[in-house]
Amino acid sequence: MDVVFNQAFAGLSIASILLIIALGLAIIYGTMGVINLAHGEFVMLGAYATWALQTYAGLGVVTALPLVFVAVAAVGWIIEKVIVQRLYTRPLDTILATWGIGIILQQAVRLGVGADSRFVSGPHWLSGNIEIGALVMSNYRLFVIAFSIMVLGATWLLMTRTEFGMKLRAVIQNRGISECYGIEAKNVYSVTFAYGAGLAGIAGALITPLFSTIPTMGTGLVVDAFLVVIVGGLGSLMGTAAAALLIGEVTALFSIVINDTLGRIAVLAGIILLIRFRPRGLFPSDIRH
Amino acid sequence: MKRREFLGHAGAFGTMGLAGGLSVPALLSGAGRAYAAGDDIPVGLLFSLTGAVAVVEHTLHDAALMAIDEINAAGGVHGKQLRAIVEDPASDPATYSDRARRLMIRDKCVSVFGSYTSASRQAVLPVTEQRENLYWYPTLYEGRECSRNVMYGGAVPNQQQDILLPWLVENFGKRIYMIGNNYVYPKEENNYCRILLNELGGEVLHEEYVPLGHSDFSSVINRIRAQEPDVIFSTLVGDSDVAFARQYRAAELDPEKMPVCSLTRSEVEVKAIGGDAAAGHFSSAPYFMSNDTPENQRFVENYKSRYGADSVTHFVSEAAYFQVYQFKAALEKLDPANLSPTAIRDAAVGMSMMAPQGEILIDPNLHTHLWPKVGQWQSDGQAKVILQSEGRITPKPYAAYPGQDCTGDGLVKS
Amino acid sequence: MNTRLSYDIIGLTLFAGVILFGVPALFSYDGFELNTFSRYLSLAIVSMALALSWGTAGLLNLGQAATFGMGSYAMAMHLKLKASGDGLPDFMGWNNVETLPLIWGPFQSLTFTLLAGLLIPAAVGGLIAIFMFRARIAGVFVAIITLAFLVAFQLLVIEQQGLTGGQNGLTGLAQLVLFGWKIDIYSVSFYYMVGGCLVAALIFGLYLTHSKFGLVLRAIREDAERTRYFGYNVANYQTVIFCISAGLAGWAGMLYALVLEFASPTYMSVSFSLAIVIWCAVGGRESVLAAAVGAILVNLAEGRLSDVFVEGWHMILGVMFLVVVMFMPRGIYGLLVDAGRVLRRKPASTKEALPFDTPLNPKQES
Repeated sequence: MDVVFNQAFAGLSIASILLIIALGLAIIYGTMGVINLAHGEFVMLGAYATWALQTYAGLGVVTALPLVFVAVAAVGWIIEKVIVQRLYTRPLDTILATWGIGIILQQAVRLGVGADSRFVSGPHWLSGNIEIGALVMSNYRLFVIAFSIMVLGATWLLMTRTEFGMKLRAVIQNRGISECYGIEAKNVYSVTFAYGAGLAGIAGALITPLFSTIPTMGTGLVVDAFLVVIVGGLGSLMGTAAAALLIGEVTALFSIVINDTLGRIAVLAGIILLIRFRPRGLFPSDIRH
Repeated sequence: MKRREFLGHAGAFGTMGLAGGLSVPALLSGAGRAYAAGDDIPVGLLFSLTGAVAVVEHTLHDAALMAIDEINAAGGVHGKQLRAIVEDPASDPATYSDRARRLMIRDKCVSVFGSYTSASRQAVLPVTEQRENLYWYPTLYEGRECSRNVMYGGAVPNQQQDILLPWLVENFGKRIYMIGNNYVYPKEENNYCRILLNELGGEVLHEEYVPLGHSDFSSVINRIRAQEPDVIFSTLVGDSDVAFARQYRAAELDPEKMPVCSLTRSEVEVKAIGGDAAAGHFSSAPYFMSNDTPENQRFVENYKSRYGADSVTHFVSEAAYFQVYQFKAALEKLDPANLSPTAIRDAAVGMSMMAPQGEILIDPNLHTHLWPKVGQWQSDGQAKVILQSEGRITPKPYAAYPGQDCTGDGLVKS
Repeated sequence: MNTRLSYDIIGLTLFAGVILFGVPALFSYDGFELNTFSRYLSLAIVSMALALSWGTAGLLNLGQAATFGMGSYAMAMHLKLKASGDGLPDFMGWNNVETLPLIWGPFQSLTFTLLAGLLIPAAVGGLIAIFMFRARIAGVFVAIITLAFLVAFQLLVIEQQGLTGGQNGLTGLAQLVLFGWKIDIYSVSFYYMVGGCLVAALIFGLYLTHSKFGLVLRAIREDAERTRYFGYNVANYQTVIFCISAGLAGWAGMLYALVLEFASPTYMSVSFSLAIVIWCAVGGRESVLAAAVGAILVNLAEGRLSDVFVEGWHMILGVMFLVVVMFMPRGIYGLLVDAGRVLRRKPASTKEALPFDTPLNPKQES
């Protein structure tokens, strides 16, 4: 029984990491229909930014978070303005373009910083575990779970309670008519892309004390993040959260029952079936196109 | 379409054409040359500088290049300089095969130094054996290979485990938890470990494999916590090892009661793991950077002054380094007019020299006699040697397979 | 339509001439150079296969590498058996496999292998196609499902070490004896065989695209709903082209395994699959010939660039891809078409500057 609880917690932790990585992607894809294959590299940039801030400015992971957000968001902004903006009429080409951007970012980091794996230490006040009976929960993972929920909440607030969020939702529903109402869709897109990139950067900052930091760390993450977004349904934050939770728990369940590899295969098969029978995802938005 | 758009398109095409055109001279290169007929001796360096394995392989490249430069600075061999031809196979076996052909066939290298992963070595093997070239492979591997065209500088399972397992069982206990990545190297090592454990009366609690690059070990940690092994026998590589070490520490498991003993963790991984998380665990390897011999001190000093004070040497880069020197020593025995790869191989057999780890010897089966050690990691990122083998250990690539033996005549089945 | 066909025929003849005569002469029939080029030619086949499903039918198959990998494993299995004589392949013994798995048995036969390398990928492609197209999955979702399938398939192959050799793949292969001809992969005759296969595949591809079948596919690509209203069974057409594309990819895989002398799960990686897409895009996905040329050019560039810029070639390639996608959306083919139009001083609409299947309203595809 203890194993079950511990695994459930492990699944929750996996889910929170998936969520925070996928959230930025969900926003970008939901808003602009842009398949951003460079998303993994934004996560990598966030991780390296955290490392740089820790090594050269002595900032801890948590203190560095806002700076990392701004830094990676800025990179996202530039990429959107220079490259992605020209490709809105060509959704399948955004796959290629963002893949190319991903390669460039990866190589730039490798050439600039080096291929070595970098060490980032987690914050000391978060080390240790909380034990409730036989359930052992890592403090840091609890923090990541809490933080990801907070980011989800903040994003939801942004989308529903701010003027920018209203403009964003208008543009998602119908770009043409929104522009007739005077909304600068281009600026909305830019800010949204930057926000999504910033979120990815934060994800990178948060995961780096747990995993290792190398230039190629992003490639494996982007496929998983994408699948979470698709399963969750386009344009739906709740969907993304639900999908992350589902996939995280199922992965944890499979890995304790069989093994990690077969678990991942099973999850992928499940996702394929889900897309086939419910292509709009678990919680599709009710927008009529 | 507007003229501007067309110009844009044409400009893009033109840029690419220019890039392609500039490489035309390279395109038409490749006239036939006899081995080392010119003023220098071409050697190939086939280590990935980009991609997933570059984290480790670029250190091998660095060490080998340093050795080559040292040899050249001291006057070269037979009065000729060694010319290093560097290729980047980008961590991809197909690219490895392609670049190896380039080095061996087009560039006529008398030897090629390369590879960290077994997959890349096996991709290179066909062309190496066909062209009777010589591939110097510095990395520890799973054994079970007996090519007459590969010089194996790394440890095989019997060299890593023969002194390690008895010591582990004696000092920590008989209940072993095995964790490794899902490919042939961990499986072979675990296979051999089981054979030894059978003799020692040990017990394998669980044998687990995770995909390469896998990073989330919460399930594994949960299982470990539940089963409480005496030793965790790890053959995790690269990122997986780093992630596992960090998560082990975050879970507040105790290295004194359940240490991780790794066959693959080196100074490179420990640097990424961080001293705190790495401290208290063990590695079994023929070489540690903290080895206290004059040769090693010189090696480490030169390495650091060339590549930075915070760079590290480890058991694979040490092998990459000494293999170049073995190559040089073999060359010196030969007649300068007859420097073929097979002649080099024959000259290398039976040769001993002083490497940073100690005095090593090349066996007729082309593997290397090494000095296995067990080191305990300290919080400064270095290992303290706890156990040292009394003599050199003979490499037996087929130790786990009675009835097969790798000898100077290749694989012999009895 | 007729003018286009004659241009294609001229193009193909020129291409065949360059590949079969020009290139060997340029390299002075040097075995190494021709061997390297054969690798490019086999990759050109998989690139043109993708152009059939993507450029003609609008189906972006991001899992093309999976069917390619199946073909290469088929060939490798045959050659591994030949290299193992009467015994088990070595890696099986090391994985404690006692007897030859049933799946391996038939690959002793060359005929079976050749057929399997074509038909098994086609069958798998067909299954995925039926799965997707009966549900009218289109656009981006095709890309995502095929990508998920690719990742799962690669994981499965790596997992089944006793069956497939796991991460290391199948190595230590024998030389292929093709109905009595012992193939030396560094020989001119091998190069001609691969070149011949490419030309044959291109002829087949051109035949398909210029036939009524190709016309219907293009109609489906532009507007599947409307084509359905005309009474065509869209799902069937999509399935057939998907199968053909997968079968061709398998063929390419068999040749690739021959050239490189091993089969590996890296042939089924996401980055390799995307590389195929990139070659197709650079050449121009609307034309099978252009896609083949694109594959050859990019791989040639990669080969030469990596020679000259050992540290930075990867980055240079990334920049080149980006430039092509942004400014040459129809690839080199599009550039040539536009040059032709400019030379003939014909006016063109904005729409023609973009690839055919570009929806003008980005949200049309959901």
